[in-house]
Amino acid sequence: MTDLLEVRDLTKTFGGLSAVKNLSFCVSEGETVGLIGPNGAGKTTIFNLIMNEFRPDSGEIFFKGEAISRYPTHERVKLGIARTYQVPRPFSEMTVGENIRVGMLPDNLWKMVTEETEEALEIEIGRSVGFDDHQIAQQPSELAMGDLRRLELARTLAIQPSLLLLDEVFAGLTLGEIDQISELLVERKKYGLTYVMVSHDLRSMAPLVDRVIAVSFGEIITEGTFDEVVNNKIVQEAYLGQ
Amino acid sequence: MCLLPLVVSTGTLRIFIFANFLAIFAMSWDILSGRTGYISFGHPFLIGIAGYTTAMLTYHLGWPLYTTIPIAVVATMIGGTLFFLPALRTRGTYFALVTLAFMEVMYHSMQVVQPKLTGGTRGLSGLPTLVSGAIPNYYLSFLVMFAIGVGLWLLIRTRLGIALDAIRMDEDAVRSSGLNTTRLKLFAFMVSAMVAGIGGALYIHYLGSIAPRGIFEINFLFTILVAALLGGAGSIVGPIIGAFFLTFLLELLRPYIPGAARYLIYGVIALVLYYYAPKGIYSFVELLRIRLTGLSQAKKND
Repeated sequence: MTDLLEVRDLTKTFGGLSAVKNLSFCVSEGETVGLIGPNGAGKTTIFNLIMNEFRPDSGEIFFKGEAISRYPTHERVKLGIARTYQVPRPFSEMTVGENIRVGMLPDNLWKMVTEETEEALEIEIGRSVGFDDHQIAQQPSELAMGDLRRLELARTLAIQPSLLLLDEVFAGLTLGEIDQISELLVERKKYGLTYVMVSHDLRSMAPLVDRVIAVSFGEIITEGTFDEVVNNKIVQEAYLGQ
Repeated sequence: MCLLPLVVSTGTLRIFIFANFLAIFAMSWDILSGRTGYISFGHPFLIGIAGYTTAMLTYHLGWPLYTTIPIAVVATMIGGTLFFLPALRTRGTYFALVTLAFMEVMYHSMQVVQPKLTGGTRGLSGLPTLVSGAIPNYYLSFLVMFAIGVGLWLLIRTRLGIALDAIRMDEDAVRSSGLNTTRLKLFAFMVSAMVAGIGGALYIHYLGSIAPRGIFEINFLFTILVAALLGGAGSIVGPIIGAFFLTFLLELLRPYIPGAARYLIYGVIALVLYYYAPKGIYSFVELLRIRLTGLSQAKKND
């Protein structure tokens, strides 16, 4: 397996706080990785750095072998990385379908203006995350939290990424909703989607990831299979305190 | 609208002409600010570039209007872009302030830098007009306004419209959808500048004169803004409705509130809008349309 994503010696400090310290890890193609750690461990910061929402103080990021550290966000997305947000951020005055459409837009003004919307594909993506046709015509304000998370997922899937960064996709969901999203991810994994997942819901994460990386205070404590990591003494101490 | 000159007086027609121009400026403002949420306080700046370009070329060099007006439009797009490119990197309030600063800088520089060229404080007058008389000017301004409206409507109903709307709602999320938002904003800006340029150049040659105080005036800026917001920003029809409504409102108030005090009405309008119709008059039209089509839908279902 080749490395799809490589993060090398990434460091980011906010004022005096080092959010991420000399962090390095790789994600292979087709692999699914869980990123765990207590609150404030730097998980979301790692995602923000990969997407260039913050600039790292030092370190390099490689995607498909290419050094992308200097690329702006939209270029990184075009190469195939997409993320969801911890707090869903739908376009509030648009319908679910239109939200998905934004994800499908080409980054080319000419194509954007001249080509027609592929409504069939839009609906297909909406249905693939479990929306019915009625919901696709609804606005985000009419949706429940679980639906908003699914919308977030649909919009990122519409980008057709090869690497997906999932930030707390299970937070605030009912068990039924968690099952639904899990099934969807298992399905996508079968078709070769690579993802990195941040979640506090370890039980739901367990069947979805090949490997787990545990971080605390911006540093990797350990990595390995799910069982290895959660049974690791240092990880348990980091989570529960000493 | 086409038969209007037959039924109203020349004086009223002149009000309609102003409303047409205001509608053009309001649409220009709306395509940038109403869509992307980047509030421009600098539209008089754009109108000024166009106005002064064509005024100086015709006044000093005697160039014909059919060359100076296109040059003025291109100059607005290029000049505006050069100045606004840095501004497009700022956000929210900062963008508004930066654009406001441009307007002020232009206001003062037009008066003191090279007054021989610009006419200084008095500006330039005796400029050639495209057509003369209220009726031809009415038709001209109306046709241009209508054509711009249709053009913008065709542009906005493509997927570009949704991309610009998305920027207003959450620019970061648009960027993480793989879109170069700077380019999108720049495009919206250039379309806006083009419309402002066309409107500005034609407006100057309708008036036959240009003066810094007439263009770079805060009340002129607010008239454009209020027209767009009052009618309903983010729609093409909204700014047009707003422009006509506002123009006639100001005219109706003229006998009661003289001079610049009429502009106090902007404050009242802002408050009323804020409380009762944040999306402008156009939202009532939409609501009515939905009610009516909804009713006919319901009847069909019965």
